[in-house]
Amino acid sequence: MIDLTPRKLHLLDSYEDGRDARHFSFRIDFPQAHDLATMPGQFFMLAVPGVGEAPFTYVSPPNLYGHFNALIRRMGNLTDALFALRPGDTLGYRGPFGKGWPLFFSPRRVLVVAGGCGLAPLAGLIDEASREHLSSRLSVVYGARRDEDQILARERLRWKLAIPFIETLDDAAAGQRRGTPLDHFDEVFATVQPDTLLCCGPESLMLGAARASVEHGIQPSRIWVSLERRMHCGVGLCGHCYIGASYACLDGPTYRYDRFLALTGATDSCAAPALQRC
Amino acid sequence: MSTHELAEVERLRRHLAQSRRLYEVRDDGQGGRHWQEVGPKDFTPLEPEGDPPPFSAKLFFFAERELLFRFDGGQFYSSLPEVRPQAIFGLHACDLQAIAYQDRFFAQDPHYQARRHATLLVGVECRESCSNGFCSLVESGPLVGDGLADLVLVRRDDARGWWLRVGSAAGAEAIRELRLPTNLDGCQATRESNAARVALAQLHDRELLDGVAALNAGQVSADTWETLGTHCFGCSGCTQVCPTCSCFAPLEQVGASGEVQHERVWDSCLYEGFQAEASGHNPSASPGQRVQRFWLHKFGEPFREQFGHYGCVGCGRCDRVCPGGIGVHGVIGEVGRP
Ligand code: SF4
Ligand code: FES
Repeated sequence: MIDLTPRKLHLLDSYEDGRDARHFSFRIDFPQAHDLATMPGQFFMLAVPGVGEAPFTYVSPPNLYGHFNALIRRMGNLTDALFALRPGDTLGYRGPFGKGWPLFFSPRRVLVVAGGCGLAPLAGLIDEASREHLSSRLSVVYGARRDEDQILARERLRWKLAIPFIETLDDAAAGQRRGTPLDHFDEVFATVQPDTLLCCGPESLMLGAARASVEHGIQPSRIWVSLERRMHCGVGLCGHCYIGASYACLDGPTYRYDRFLALTGATDSCAAPALQRC
Repeated sequence: MSTHELAEVERLRRHLAQSRRLYEVRDDGQGGRHWQEVGPKDFTPLEPEGDPPPFSAKLFFFAERELLFRFDGGQFYSSLPEVRPQAIFGLHACDLQAIAYQDRFFAQDPHYQARRHATLLVGVECRESCSNGFCSLVESGPLVGDGLADLVLVRRDDARGWWLRVGSAAGAEAIRELRLPTNLDGCQATRESNAARVALAQLHDRELLDGVAALNAGQVSADTWETLGTHCFGCSGCTQVCPTCSCFAPLEQVGASGEVQHERVWDSCLYEGFQAEASGHNPSASPGQRVQRFWLHKFGEPFREQFGHYGCVGCGRCDRVCPGGIGVHGVIGEVGRP
């Protein structure tokens, strides 16, 4: 049976990491074996007592001691309450849930495209690649509106030393790259020739990046996107996170692009109008 | 499984009510009909025919509002319901099919299963079609599918009582003390003629199947959905009465003592904010998208593959409750027209 009751979670610490965003460290009370099986791209339900539960992704998955990190942007009641908490306060935790990113580092050349807060669900995967010195296999293009909208400042410093990492801003100052990640696709494809795309950010960015990648020769079945949906249960029961006949909390939030298109009944060219956001 | 002779159905009901809470649909004296508790000394005759009750039996298992967990400031405590043994008496085949559907959907939900495991299901097979029903077209009635009820009542044509079909070990155990004689003479023939009579009465509804085909072929345009959507009041009537609807929302409250109670309450995919995210993004912002979603969930092939049955059991409740005329006939009947 599914357990719908949260486990106890301790707020260890947090620091500002991007506009209206904080980087949290948590500790799960009495971590269990399945906590260690958490994959990058999966999510957890965070309970803020008195307010409710909401889904967030891991920046780093739980370790042996149940410690993990999450980047959370202030968005509404629940995050307002969370941002007002102090180290040592008690929260609730359920997870891990959903499907993470596929792991297939060996023969693939992976392009990671992230927009704004969409970098967070990819952090665990980028970390792994940079630790394993897979610089020839994985490169990142990260877009944000302005530099204050960028998140994971400390991680990006580290990653930039290990793997090809392009940052681009809608509002760029002199000396910075300007535009969306898509504006740099020709250059990226000419240099690293990726055959796989992992993308997370506003839906319009993901669909745009997916379409452009198909035009650059990537198979739709080698593209993964991470969809955001309202989620209340995380376990396929409350119904809120539906995408066609699938529930994002079970079959996603990471979807293979061709499957996502089949689910929404959309083709490459008509998906976008139905799916604008952010 | 065995079939027995039962002279008086009320005797069975009184017997079952002795050792469990028993619920049957009764007039509430104000023009409504509801599931009500019936005691072991109740002699009121059963009225098995007629339209199914406005509310299906799903509320016995998937409670309209229930506590999931509590938080006392230090710990979280789960709160599973303690359910006394109960019997739901007089369920129609369509509603039993819906329970089977929800049994699958909530297979891993401890709250649902706690209620369900404490429950004996007693079905009654309809001899006439109800007014909006089309069970024969979606294979959910009028005959009760094997294994969908613990006991099933079949009325004899000659008005000499009933057959009682036993559908499970729990059903057999529940009637053991009654020592009913076994007899299945004529039972099958009666059931078959009931099935034929109901199917004939529902024949005119075959246009619904054209609607289902159009829906699954993706032949219903976004404009059609939007037009239908303009008739949706977002009142959630259909999702409340539909026996297979299962969406819920959380409701968290802090009591005077500071204790936090986290409940779940029925929700509706027809509400505008059903999918609205904290960021403001709403993937089903238009009423047409939400109406389409409701009907895909009821008749979409992917769901049928997953659950072995359509999400619609043909009870006709949505037609009766929808103020905008977009119940099953108003939508599925409409989208199949050339
Ligand atoms: S969709 Fe309508 S007819 Fe079908 S099961 Fe639900 S309420 Fe009954
Ligand atoms: S979050 Fe409840 S069904 Fe997915």
